Amino acid sequence: MVTIYYVMIVSVLYFVIMLFSFRNIKDIFRRAKYSTYNTLSGSELVPSVSLLVPAFNEELTIAENVRCLMTLNYPTYEVIVINDGSSDETLKVLIEEYGLTLLPNPQIRGKISTNKVRGIYYNPQYPQLYVIDKENGGKADSLNAGINLSRYPLISSIDADSLLEKDALIRMARMYMENPEETVAIGGDVRIANGCVIENGEVKDVSLPRRMWPMFQSIEYMKAFLGGRIGWSHLNGLIIVSGAFGLFRKDYVIAVGGYRGGYPGEDMNIIIKLHRYMLENKIKYRVAFCPEAVCWTQAPDSYNILSNQRKRWGRGNLKNMIENRDMVFNPKYKIMGLLTMPYNVIFEALNPYFRITGLLALLGYVLLDMTNWKVLVVFGLVNFLSGYMLSVGALILEEIAFRRYTKLSDQVKMLLFSALKFVGYHQLGVLWRVQGHIQYLQNNNSWGTMTRQSWKDKKEAA
Amino acid sequence: MSQSATLQRVQAVDFYGRLEEEVREHSQGTALLFLYCAGDSSGSEAELSEVQSFVDQLSGDNGKVLQDANYGVMAITLPGYSLDAAHYQALLLKQHLQGRLGEADPRITLAALTETPSMQTMKQMAESTRLSTSSDIHIFTQEEADREHNRILIVDQDATVREFLQIRLAMQGYETLEALDGLEALELIAKWEPDLVLTELNLHGIDGLPFIHHIQQLDVKESPKIVVLTEKRVEQTISQCFQNGVDDYVTKPFSPVELDARIRRCLH
Repeated sequence: MVTIYYVMIVSVLYFVIMLFSFRNIKDIFRRAKYSTYNTLSGSELVPSVSLLVPAFNEELTIAENVRCLMTLNYPTYEVIVINDGSSDETLKVLIEEYGLTLLPNPQIRGKISTNKVRGIYYNPQYPQLYVIDKENGGKADSLNAGINLSRYPLISSIDADSLLEKDALIRMARMYMENPEETVAIGGDVRIANGCVIENGEVKDVSLPRRMWPMFQSIEYMKAFLGGRIGWSHLNGLIIVSGAFGLFRKDYVIAVGGYRGGYPGEDMNIIIKLHRYMLENKIKYRVAFCPEAVCWTQAPDSYNILSNQRKRWGRGNLKNMIENRDMVFNPKYKIMGLLTMPYNVIFEALNPYFRITGLLALLGYVLLDMTNWKVLVVFGLVNFLSGYMLSVGALILEEIAFRRYTKLSDQVKMLLFSALKFVGYHQLGVLWRVQGHIQYLQNNNSWGTMTRQSWKDKKEAA
Repeated sequence: MSQSATLQRVQAVDFYGRLEEEVREHSQGTALLFLYCAGDSSGSEAELSEVQSFVDQLSGDNGKVLQDANYGVMAITLPGYSLDAAHYQALLLKQHLQGRLGEADPRITLAALTETPSMQTMKQMAESTRLSTSSDIHIFTQEEADREHNRILIVDQDATVREFLQIRLAMQGYETLEALDGLEALELIAKWEPDLVLTELNLHGIDGLPFIHHIQQLDVKESPKIVVLTEKRVEQTISQCFQNGVDDYVTKPFSPVELDARIRRCLH
């Protein structure tokens, strides 16, 4: 019985969140369509941003990524690539591409402690670009090193396997400028680039991934970002700003001690820390989500890499929940303590266990003839339909406001895969999360392998 | 790339050098005709041999056919032909080519020479043949040769801005080409060698200061003047641009009259 209530509550919650998304979509659409970003992107009044790009063994994608970041439509910004002690040619690729030389006396302003910085590379011909070479210390450590070097009041973290749309940053800045006092962080919309045609650091032609795993993730991301995060940001209850693309107030990031190293899930961690800091100090704030700022990222396209990524996420999520357990149901933390955190503990972290026990119980009932199989079928169908409606809702949001996927065949494919997702992929997600939790208990602390493909190979494969 | 650009220039010099010799031999009363076949078959062997055979059967046997290996433009000298006679032959030649090569779409520019034309004028004729959009035979006059053609490359990703600038500048007698992004612009500058580049700073592919640097490092005879026309109004960017040798900086929204004056001042 518990299971049924559980599923009902989850579905209702999802629907409520999605309802908020729908409420906001009209504004988002108009904002995306009618704002004059071009004029804004030349203005002296737009705050300057330091883009931080942590790179560990990214020799295949880094050149394209930096080329993309160098041509953003934005008045004043700098790109700081942090080579986190890569064992491949990441640093060499950059040095050759941009003719960088070692800066004799770099001026490092920040004081967050990081692993040793070996040197900073620069070429006056590309005045926006800095490359930090440091000893390996993980993604959080790299971001901290980047913060230390950065000159500007806003920082933005960007994954080295991602490409920003030309207007992405200015769209985010526009949202920041609506309310610069209170905004501490803004997340961007992350989409899957597998299958798209990439040329000169930009996405030329948008289409869905050809392969199965990226396709499922495409649907999943769309649902999470459009269906979920727009709604959560409306309540100011966002618990995560994707590590792939987010904008932060530097002063507050420094105030909470920078990124936490040594464990995955640093992107969720920094947001929880910001919420905690602002609420404890009773400062009015918001963590926003800017769906019109789009970042295209490379999704893992094989089972192994994907399962590693998901186990890591499961591990990071659990760690963050355990570390911040005092916030759960604590009225001091308002929406965060009363809604977001409990939601994440009960419906995200513990989700697999409810599902597994529920399924076992149902099977047991049927086997013991305590209920008949029809109930099981009905239950399964209701479960499937509510899930499917949520996915379709996300697709409708996409179609109302963004229309990135123009081909009819792509839209049919999305509808199909939204349904297929419930046969196998969902169950695997549950399995991976459990495995992640087991890794946590085993104290497995590694990042796991994350192999990249060059954007060029991708183009040929697509 | 720079190597092939050098090679192209050598070939071009070779073509115009030979043509000049040819024209000098019979400078009086010679008709000079440039021919370019638009379409896929431009500059093919078949075309060249067709033209050659046409010229061979003309009376007054001194006609010569030369071809520019880079672009496939052909130059034909017709000694002893007056303008109207040459025009008639040109019409026949056009018909002949259209009959023999199905998809040929010949563009012809014709001039009757009174003196040896300068290499510049001949280049101008070849160019106008190549870029011509009409299949009518174009008679190239002295007046046209005298007009100074400054070339301006317009680089902007906004089609409306490009169109506006293109029309306005063309009306003032400038030759213009358009480029959508930084990489296309660099390619065009190397090939077309404009006198002035009118560019936005915010471009795809490559933009801003790196783009300016790349223009200046291109292997061209004379680096083009650079006028920036952009939305960017950040003081620091403006000063960096001037430090890096940009000739002028105009911000959008701009006054067309002011832009005209600034371009004129840059060119003279």
